[in-house]
Amino acid sequence: MTGRVIVITSGKGGVGKTTASANLGVALASTGASVALVDMDIGLRNLDILMGLENRVVYNLVDVIEERCKLRQALVKDKRLPNLSLLPAAQTRDKSAVSADQMKELCKELSSIFEFVLVDSPAGIEQGFQNAVAGAHEAIVICTPEMSSVRDADRIIGLLEARKDEIEQYRLVVNRYRPNMVQANDMMSVEDVLEILSVELLGVVPEDEEIIVSTNKGEPVSGTDNCKSGLAYRNIARRLRGEDVPIMDFSAQNQTWINRIVNFFNPVRV
Amino acid sequence: MQVLSNLFARFRPTTVRTTAKDRMRSMLTYDRLELPAGRLECLEEELMAVVSRYFELDKSTTQFDLQQLDRRAQLIANFPLLRSKC
Repeated sequence: MTGRVIVITSGKGGVGKTTASANLGVALASTGASVALVDMDIGLRNLDILMGLENRVVYNLVDVIEERCKLRQALVKDKRLPNLSLLPAAQTRDKSAVSADQMKELCKELSSIFEFVLVDSPAGIEQGFQNAVAGAHEAIVICTPEMSSVRDADRIIGLLEARKDEIEQYRLVVNRYRPNMVQANDMMSVEDVLEILSVELLGVVPEDEEIIVSTNKGEPVSGTDNCKSGLAYRNIARRLRGEDVPIMDFSAQNQTWINRIVNFFNPVRV
Repeated sequence: MQVLSNLFARFRPTTVRTTAKDRMRSMLTYDRLELPAGRLECLEEELMAVVSRYFELDKSTTQFDLQQLDRRAQLIANFPLLRSKC
């Protein structure tokens, strides 16, 4: 088997890369696919916390690369989904502990076992990012509709474009979307961001307090039924699997007739 | 529908959203070209000087801009000419 290796990246920190990785891992695994989540943020390990697996980590990615253990020994199985595994980052090392070639090798090995290998990239555009993209064939760029995040996403897209031979496809996820602020014309819309970045859209995830709750519990929202961000992540997972799922229509919420008229002249379609 | 709303878009007032979008567009155009601030103005002056050797220009209506087409920038220069100098 040759699984798909997808890097999740953003340039800017704090826009939701790790949250997206955890949620897409859970959502993809819930559809029945076998999934490996790889935490490439060496030195700043967090994906284990979001997955609620921090107490089960024995070995890590650097241990595998430096041959202190077998790959299978380092993989931590998810509590609920047996077809989902986490390869944790080392907490006491730094980005220089791994080379791009070693990452390529590791991704190849993982993709012979799993249908999806999701690589959670660290923030920045330096070696940590370069290592994270080294073994990937696809990329998901996460950005929030804020100027600094869009600027950094643009830089990342430029770097992905330069790797066209390896990265066959990259798509954008607009995260922490606030339709009410867009409707009040206080924030860029999804369409604005797409127009500026000229990039294909993979999904939109609304701002949701449930994300904080789920992080505290160690249970990603895409595993629960009743929240909007969880649904958004499940939709993205289905799109990744090739299904044609329409983007959620946020603008239809809380609309009065006067809003409808205003929106006709100021279209916000997401 | 789209045509109609595009038509009305011309009269759309400046909002925080449009300000952000405009700033974003111009910032990224400069970022992508790795163009330092002031460089474009420098080119404009030089080009104007060359064209002025041949023509009298209407300097009040010249247009000199970078525009974005997909992920590529294009230079739009519009120098209205009054008469030839030779």
